[in-house]
Amino acid sequence: MKKALIVIFAAMAGTTLGQGEVPQSIDIHNLPGGANVVEHVVIPVPSEIFSVLDKAGKPRWKEVLRPVSRNLKTPSEREQIALLLGTVIAEGFVAVEAEEDVEVKNIGNTVIKLAKALHVEASVTKRANAIIDNADKKNWKQVRKELDAAQRDAQEAMHAMQDDDLSQLVSLGGWLRGLEALTAVVKADFKKETADLLHQPSLLDYFDKRLAAMPKKMQDKPLVAKMRKGLGEIRPLMGTEGSDISEKTVGDVNAIAEDLVKGITVKTNP
Amino acid sequence: MKRIIPVFFLFVALLAQPHPARATIDDALTFALEAADPYVKEGYTVREDYWGGDLPVKQAKAIVHQLFKGNEYWFWMGTDKDNVKISVHVYDSDGRLAEAESWQKPHKAAARVVPKKTGTYYLIVEIEKSPEERTYWSLAYGFK
Repeated sequence: MKKALIVIFAAMAGTTLGQGEVPQSIDIHNLPGGANVVEHVVIPVPSEIFSVLDKAGKPRWKEVLRPVSRNLKTPSEREQIALLLGTVIAEGFVAVEAEEDVEVKNIGNTVIKLAKALHVEASVTKRANAIIDNADKKNWKQVRKELDAAQRDAQEAMHAMQDDDLSQLVSLGGWLRGLEALTAVVKADFKKETADLLHQPSLLDYFDKRLAAMPKKMQDKPLVAKMRKGLGEIRPLMGTEGSDISEKTVGDVNAIAEDLVKGITVKTNP
Repeated sequence: MKRIIPVFFLFVALLAQPHPARATIDDALTFALEAADPYVKEGYTVREDYWGGDLPVKQAKAIVHQLFKGNEYWFWMGTDKDNVKISVHVYDSDGRLAEAESWQKPHKAAARVVPKKTGTYYLIVEIEKSPEERTYWSLAYGFK
């Protein structure tokens, strides 16, 4: 009877009896079971951060939105196209927050254009069309999902073509535009708790490591070198976890991120 | 020539098959996403990107991941193999167990985190028990 009761209670809790064996702490420098670290890093989508801002206040997303040119000129260098694709997808998340359906549809079309230039349009077109269709219906939740999927599909196609470095640049472009939007919102209505969202040192370190591992030819491209320099400037401003980030620091990070995004979008407006 | 043709067709057939590791990680992902399903109805947004691989029994793998205070997160782990016990647990940057709850079921395990601070977290995945030498796993996450 006792045994039966234990089984019932365990089933009700949806857990196993081994639950209590979970270590309450680990040494992160000496991981349990000799665990090594998975190389793949999932970069947060902008909406993951924006959702915190939405809970903390009423950001003026329309003021943060930077419409993408209808006649965007595709850059000639693949590195810039990849970075630009990332920023355009991130802009899509801002446009969703602003509930600007016309701009979201424009972004869907721009994603197709840039994906074509990177030869990954076959993987992305379906997603981009879904972005456009769902923007028409103002189904914002689905648009966010399709933006995320469009980026993943583009990056998987690049991975299949052995273009992992370009794939990283897509992530970096998206992260930088997300950071620029985040700092713009925090700056407009400074609160200690929203400034705290800037504590992202592991992502910065990851991007820096990936840029450093790129072939020299790619690293020497002025735009890629500019990105690396900019990341180096942002790194000390993000501080250590648990420390406060000041209003001035938010402004400084915003200025650097803005300059980097401008570098990515330069010469793309006819 | 007669010997070459069957070898050629075998080679072509092998090339035509999806990558077995990728296919198995995708199978594991199916279970992870199945675990996520009830939480989607609770408003969680499931990310399209995910982690995956294969592990021997009792050897853990760590995933470094950025979490934001103000969100809630679920991490769902899956495997397509039967009679396997898997686990996922989440620790903060000081190495303290950070999850609010966790569970283990056949083919699935999950952990929920309500971050006390924005920053780096460590997801520890493990195959606790398996009849296989190595077991494929996949990990997805969602936030709200």
